[in-house]
Amino acid sequence: MVDALHEVHRVLAPRGTLVDARPDSRVLAYVEQVRAQGHRRVGVIRTSSRELPNDRASDRAIATVARERSFRRRGTHRFWHMVPFEGLDAVRAYLANHLRFEKRARWTVDAAERRRIRGERFVIRRAVRWELLDKI
Amino acid sequence: MNTKVAHILGSQIPASVLRPDAADELAEWGGPNVVRGKRVLDVGCGDGRLALGAAPYAREVVGLDPDDQLIKTATAKASQQGLSNARFVVGAGQELPFDDSAFDLVILSWAL
Repeated sequence: MVDALHEVHRVLAPRGTLVDARPDSRVLAYVEQVRAQGHRRVGVIRTSSRELPNDRASDRAIATVARERSFRRRGTHRFWHMVPFEGLDAVRAYLANHLRFEKRARWTVDAAERRRIRGERFVIRRAVRWELLDKI
Repeated sequence: MNTKVAHILGSQIPASVLRPDAADELAEWGGPNVVRGKRVLDVGCGDGRLALGAAPYAREVVGLDPDDQLIKTATAKASQQGLSNARFVVGAGQELPFDDSAFDLVILSWAL
């Protein structure tokens, strides 16, 4: 990863900018039911333990090039990305195939309530972290 | 918000469908001014989701990805959208096939 960032530094013009944006595994993702009066949280999703070392390696790579004074960090930011689904079955299928997340949500509503709302619309709300870095 | 609804259920959905719309992501970074008039490189561009969103504002956009099928898809989309300032090449981030100082902005979106 540091090698790739050195290459980015090479191809950037003086005072050029790097944008690094990626899912933020420091923050939980949520399953939310979409309702007319707003979203209702019905489950929590953790990042897969297999992905956490990769995320930490990415963080270390950015920290390394900043420490080398190749780039100056402007500070990190976060926004929420919502992936929409039709029904809880679609949410479950998505999680079953997703590499970043644990395979199952940790539900915050009971099984009877999940059966009742299973055909409703849902979103997975997840955090995306981004930062701008200026070439030095 | 991405308005596409994910049905999944056994189908192979391109990763870009499940990522933020380019306009939304650019807006988070400060809007079109982030790329306006610049030479932009999108490393790990996939099917061109973000590069094609930046192209209408940028001077030039180059997308790079190791997957040649995704590069073909991105190239076809650029052609369909009439974006003559966008091009896509197969390659890896560890060895960028470009000259020194060739770009004003490099994007690593969901790529590092």
